[in-house]
Amino acid sequence: MSKLLSSRRWFWFSGISFGLVLLPLLLAMGAFWSYLGQAQWLTYVQDTYTWRVVWFSWWQASLSTVISLSAAVLVARALARRQSFLGRWLLLRCFSVALVVPSIIAVFGIILLHGKYGYFNQLWQWFGGQPQSYVYGLTGILLAHVFFNLPLASRILLQRFDAINSETWRLSSQLGMTSMDLWRHIEWPYIKGVLPQLSALVFALCFTSFAVVMTLGGGPKATTIEVAIFQAIRFDFDIAKAVYLSLLQMFCCGFILWVGLRLGKPIDIFVSLETTAKNMRPDLRPILGIVSDTVILLIATLLVLLPLLAVVIAGINSAWADVLLDLRLWGAFSNSLWVALSSALLSLLMASGLLLAQRHWRERYAAAALTVEWMGSVILVVPPLVLATGLFIGLSPHVNVFAINLYIVVLVNALMGLPYMLRVLSVAYLKISRDYDRLASSLGVQGWHRLRHVEWPILRKPIGLALALVAAMSAGDLGVVALFGSPDIQTLPLLMYQRLGSYQSEAAGVTAVVLLGLCLGIFVVLERLLGGSGD
Amino acid sequence: MINFKQVSCRLGDQQFNFNLQLPLAQVVAIMGASGSGKSTLLNLLAGFIQPQADAGQILLDGQRVDHLEPSQRPVTSLFQEHNLFAHMSVFNNLALGIRTSLKLTVDEAARVEAALGQVGLQGMGSRLPNQLSGGQRQRVALGRALVRHKPLLLLDEPFSALDPALRQEMAVLVKSLSQQHQLTVLLVTHEPKDVLLLAETVVFIADGGVHWQGPSKDFLQQKDKHIQAYLGQNC
Repeated sequence: MSKLLSSRRWFWFSGISFGLVLLPLLLAMGAFWSYLGQAQWLTYVQDTYTWRVVWFSWWQASLSTVISLSAAVLVARALARRQSFLGRWLLLRCFSVALVVPSIIAVFGIILLHGKYGYFNQLWQWFGGQPQSYVYGLTGILLAHVFFNLPLASRILLQRFDAINSETWRLSSQLGMTSMDLWRHIEWPYIKGVLPQLSALVFALCFTSFAVVMTLGGGPKATTIEVAIFQAIRFDFDIAKAVYLSLLQMFCCGFILWVGLRLGKPIDIFVSLETTAKNMRPDLRPILGIVSDTVILLIATLLVLLPLLAVVIAGINSAWADVLLDLRLWGAFSNSLWVALSSALLSLLMASGLLLAQRHWRERYAAAALTVEWMGSVILVVPPLVLATGLFIGLSPHVNVFAINLYIVVLVNALMGLPYMLRVLSVAYLKISRDYDRLASSLGVQGWHRLRHVEWPILRKPIGLALALVAAMSAGDLGVVALFGSPDIQTLPLLMYQRLGSYQSEAAGVTAVVLLGLCLGIFVVLERLLGGSGD
Repeated sequence: MINFKQVSCRLGDQQFNFNLQLPLAQVVAIMGASGSGKSTLLNLLAGFIQPQADAGQILLDGQRVDHLEPSQRPVTSLFQEHNLFAHMSVFNNLALGIRTSLKLTVDEAARVEAALGQVGLQGMGSRLPNQLSGGQRQRVALGRALVRHKPLLLLDEPFSALDPALRQEMAVLVKSLSQQHQLTVLLVTHEPKDVLLLAETVVFIADGGVHWQGPSKDFLQQKDKHIQAYLGQNC
């Protein structure tokens, strides 16, 4: 059989990838292990504050999931019905942007809108109301989580709605079904299959969300486990407590993942939003439907667009010259860019090695091939802050972790990007070996030629998308950077966080626009450049 | 009488224009090369495609139907596949033909059972479509056509996914049901056997319009260039 690499070479390549993935995890676990004896377990278990944090983590994640998903069902249905809706293009673009906007930017936008001196309060006062302070705490956290997860869930659900075939619509229009009939007999049965998995995904994302809770919550009333770990290390210097909380967090994430896996097979997060042929739904005419769909789509657009717009407007102020001429900004900019590109490349390297191994093992050792998928999932049990904490504890006796902080940030972000990488690449990767292995070997296409003529043309699109996504997410990462942050080495999200914290709102506005531009720029350039034009 | 008067429509680059008169209560085979417009003809009749504005009329028994919603037309369609809702029992799939709320009276439920019997699926009402064979699924769809009680049955290559023995069985079933219920059947097919077995009339479509129409026994002997090329007899 002709393969991409000879058997000796793929072994080394995959071996390095496995090492890169497993070593940090083992190091972190080993570090936790070494602290197990030192922890004062009883004190921690009896600590009511900790239990309140655990309770709040579950509570806010549950609420975020329920709100995001119910709204997403409405939005996706409205989008599926109004295929020629004027704002459809804008809304779908906004939804795509929301996938790569850094959390700190969304939080900033939400504060600009909902804060005590925000636009909504100004409007409220103009009507004669008293300014309300509601953004810090649960409300703000929910707003931010809906900002991120409504677009994600809507995209996935819209794909399900669009998967309903045209015969079904013709059949239902011949049978004279009403909108309610369609929902009960067709749409609900179609989408209910993805809802459990989708809930698990959104729940896990909200459960481990760091930057949002850190900035909008953080007090005793609104702290999650993820933030509590950070506080234990940075504020209390209580490593044992951080270990205890990390184990607790891993237990919770493992449980969520286990439930998710029990509920069905994984869903495809990255769906094309090209709609198929015009649908033949019989319920497009009634005026009530048109009005309700328009209102729903308008609200959804504003929900995502307004915070981003507020950020851009806040960036247009008199401080721009000072901020842009400040060398610290450009130092942070180049650090962020470096972190983004390195994380994405490292993540691609890891994923390629794992998938190559899966390809080789698939024929003879099905169980071994499964480890690849298993490794992708294992990362989900170890959220970024937990992994970073483990590395922090494991490395600090041997090296000055603050001096190599950016390398650790790259490593953690690459590992965090791995599940996304694997998800995007694995289908195309396996398809190549299934469809073309025999053809390629009969023609003797191998090595470099195979890479150039077979692998690259098929893989460049998914690779472009995956790199773009991981790079944009790494550029906007705040959690890991904050844990290892030192005054000397800045990244843009960290700078942004500090300026937000010290009430330099004008400087924060300009920094936010630069960060937003960086993330969107990285995403667009990588996706277009590598992915090629869509053909 | 089914009457297409100068009905035209445009799909992509292709322009269609149909002129056609067909008697009721018989089986008509619609034949023609792929992409010639056979399905388009059925879709126009069922209302899934709208003719170009002010272009022609479609009449059934002298009544215009081209402005009606698909559910208001006296028509039941059967597609090649996806005729059933996969998550719904056979019984409910049939019941949808009577009431989309699925709340049937005792009489109506009895009608569903009777229709199941007529298509040879008695006692299978509680099964799901994926527990049936391809032929059985198509029979369920035929059963629904019966409970809907519409005079026109449009079949768009409904047997093409079935093996030869099943095809024949289905063809016989369609023939006997159409005679029992006085149905008018328009059948799109590529199979000369279907024509001999089932159809009294053949309509041959080419270049986006009706090219030939006549008794089915004449069709296979036609010396027309288009028809011979279609049947593969030009050697």
